[in-house]
Amino acid sequence: MKAILTDTTKCIGCRECVIACKKTYNLEEEVPRRWSSDDGLSSRNWTSIIQKPEGKFIRKQCRHCLQPACVSACPVGALRKTSEGAVIYDSKKCIGCRYCMMACPYGIPRYDWDQPVPYVRKCILCYDRITQGKQPACTEACPTEATIFGDRQELLGEAHRRLKETPDKYIDRVWGEKEVGGTQVLYISDIDLSCLTYGRPLGEKPLPTRTATAMNAVPYTFVGMSATMAGISWIIGRRMKIQEKPGDDQREDNDE
Amino acid sequence: MNRIYTFKTILWTILGFGAAVGTARFIYGLGVTTNLSDSVPWGLWIGFDVMGGVALAAGGFILTATVYIFRLEKFHGIVRPAVLTAFLGYIAVAVGLLFDLGLPWNIWHMIIFWNPHSPLFEVGWCVMLYLTVLLLEFFPIPAEEFSKLNKLRNFLLKLRLPLVIAGIALSTLHQSSLGSLFLIMPYNVHPLWYSPILPVLFFISAITLGLMMVSFESKFTSWLYRRETETDLLAKLCSAARWVFLIYIIVRFGDLAFRGQLGHLGGGEWQVVMFWVEIAITALIPVILLSIPKIRIAPVWQWIIPMMSIFGIVLNRINVGGLVHINRGNTLYLPSLTEITISASVVAGAALVFLYMVERYKIWEKRPADPNTDPTKIPEFDFASRTSLGTPEVALRTKYSLAFILAAAVGFALLSTENLSSAGTESSPAKEARGWETMWIDGDLDGEGTAFPHAKHIDNNGKEKSCVLCHHMNLPLDNSSQCSACHRDMYLLSDAFGHDRHASASGAGLKCFDCHKKDLTKNADTAKPCKDCHGDLVAEGSTITVENYRTIGYVESMHRLCIGCHSQKADSLEKPDLPRCANCHKEKRTIISPDAGVHPHQYGAEKDNVIFPIVSYNSEQPPDTTNTGSAVENSR
Repeated sequence: MKAILTDTTKCIGCRECVIACKKTYNLEEEVPRRWSSDDGLSSRNWTSIIQKPEGKFIRKQCRHCLQPACVSACPVGALRKTSEGAVIYDSKKCIGCRYCMMACPYGIPRYDWDQPVPYVRKCILCYDRITQGKQPACTEACPTEATIFGDRQELLGEAHRRLKETPDKYIDRVWGEKEVGGTQVLYISDIDLSCLTYGRPLGEKPLPTRTATAMNAVPYTFVGMSATMAGISWIIGRRMKIQEKPGDDQREDNDE
Repeated sequence: MNRIYTFKTILWTILGFGAAVGTARFIYGLGVTTNLSDSVPWGLWIGFDVMGGVALAAGGFILTATVYIFRLEKFHGIVRPAVLTAFLGYIAVAVGLLFDLGLPWNIWHMIIFWNPHSPLFEVGWCVMLYLTVLLLEFFPIPAEEFSKLNKLRNFLLKLRLPLVIAGIALSTLHQSSLGSLFLIMPYNVHPLWYSPILPVLFFISAITLGLMMVSFESKFTSWLYRRETETDLLAKLCSAARWVFLIYIIVRFGDLAFRGQLGHLGGGEWQVVMFWVEIAITALIPVILLSIPKIRIAPVWQWIIPMMSIFGIVLNRINVGGLVHINRGNTLYLPSLTEITISASVVAGAALVFLYMVERYKIWEKRPADPNTDPTKIPEFDFASRTSLGTPEVALRTKYSLAFILAAAVGFALLSTENLSSAGTESSPAKEARGWETMWIDGDLDGEGTAFPHAKHIDNNGKEKSCVLCHHMNLPLDNSSQCSACHRDMYLLSDAFGHDRHASASGAGLKCFDCHKKDLTKNADTAKPCKDCHGDLVAEGSTITVENYRTIGYVESMHRLCIGCHSQKADSLEKPDLPRCANCHKEKRTIISPDAGVHPHQYGAEKDNVIFPIVSYNSEQPPDTTNTGSAVENSR
């Protein structure tokens, strides 16, 4: 499982990662649109730099959850989690329901709102590059090694090592270690990163398990409901037959 | 005019608007025709058309269950309209969904690409299957009229019980699964609505909505066709609905108590008010009113209670579907007129088909009498034009068509041209530049900009002769027009030419062939270059070029000037970093100008969660914005 570790204390906000990403995927120039959001992500910006007070910078990108809500939500399986850990998108399967955008706890997937043939767009962890043994364009471009690429376990170890070595420098927490079952894009920081989740604290329970309970009940509900209805119908039908049996007298009584 | 004709004319008019708007939606895309955004990806079309629509059509499975499973034969008279409503309702849902989907032509992908983990996948399949079931349930009704179809009809009637059971099971599944859709968003949906038992709540409320919808529909069509209402039956339906309402209230509040969210109810947020309004009109008030037998059979209340409850539950669907989601990124979503028009016209279309079916086939015990089929009635003349519109039937068709076409025409005319032509680009007009030693260039006023050493540029490029290098065209009789005079938007193409002004008699008064060559297509490329007439338009040695009358936006034109010139200078001065973005875009800040005292536009001091420090410069400490590029080297 590959991962990215971003250390916000090292980020200088140069946006080289953003530019590298745009160049790799030939993304068009961004202009302010009605549907753009404040965080700088859009269908043409798969990663962005959020500037916080006192010159702090936070890079925002897809978190590539270990148990992604978007993958579980997509009705046609257009989003897929690969063995390397990248959550990738197949535009040929997509029907454009935007359920993935609703389901994502980080609000990452963005839409080609201006296109008559729109697709969902987000960071795909440079899936082509990492399968070729290269590292993602963004981590390669970073001049200060603020964002680095590697194996998830190793990077987790590295994060904890940094937290241990210079505890004064960081908040004692690795963002993405456990939230919603863990993510593959990890953060360590000296400022609170709740802005990445719109200020909402996320629990540790993976989101797909929440629907799983309801979805597992589906076959039982179907069979149970059918059987109940058939049973009721049979019982009532039989009772009516028994009532009718004594002869035509009763029916006439009823009619009166 | 008879009320049914007025009503149909209104429906056709709505459909006409819908035709215009629907066309625009598919040509221009969702962004410019709706108010949806990256923060609010689902809106009215999902909340009302899909979630509300499916719930509104629940009457079908409830009444088939009542009549064919529980054998309550007295409801037999209203089972046919209920099945028809369900059938049309689900078709309306599918049509509404086609507008909302980004790639509607791929909707069949659900059949071949499976993701059984997704509740939406399950809803899609159930709706597809249930539509088939409804078609088979409904088919025998129109088939009565065609003796050739008798065999098929009898076969389907034999299959009725299995079909009814399948319909009930499928409805149970997808009515509840619409609630399951939101289980994956515990952090989005407001705690007053989010619950692990959302599917159950959705199912119970769908039952009440189905019952209420059947009552309302019966009431409304009776009024429309001036036929007798089944007051007795409706009273019985309402009395049954009362118990379901009660269950709904108990489950809803029980769930809140169980999850420990009752504390939220006392708050003063708008969501809390919304919750109380919703639950009050959905269930609380109806349950109280329906407990009073007098009210239950009173015709007025038979109007009011279903309407109230229907509105309440549809509101519940809209709330869960997006309205009460905890906002991502401070965007307020209100459906655009386009969205409302499409929603309304989908309903109008379904209503028109319903009315046609009711008039054509035996949906009710008594088919409504059409005043126009009265043979003694004579054709009328149109009161305005005094021409004959033909027989009453033909005349009606003409009038409906007219309403539709007129509405479509008006709809096309009213389509917001500004939004469509700007392709959703936010307007951010350019502002007047000021000739200080160091200028803060921030055309879109977002606090991000660049400190431009204006004085230094003048010194380096030949003092007063340098102006024309960068400052270009002026409006007639003007010495220094603002950028924004032509570049009315930061990013959009600007019409720097003004074709109308050149062509009109009150302007330049030119003929077509004064500028366009006779044999060629008349467009900007084949027209005479501007400088052929306006020799003084662009000064000698200027870096500005005007190829045709369309110029790029302000930001791009600024960049093109700066980066182009800097690239040339980078070679001659051997300063390779000169054309790099970071050479100018060093940091975000607003500047207090040394010349003007206080910068007149100290905007951007605080924008959203980003705070830009205000940096002040005085003459002893000149801003570090020289053309050396050293700052970039240092920072790297």
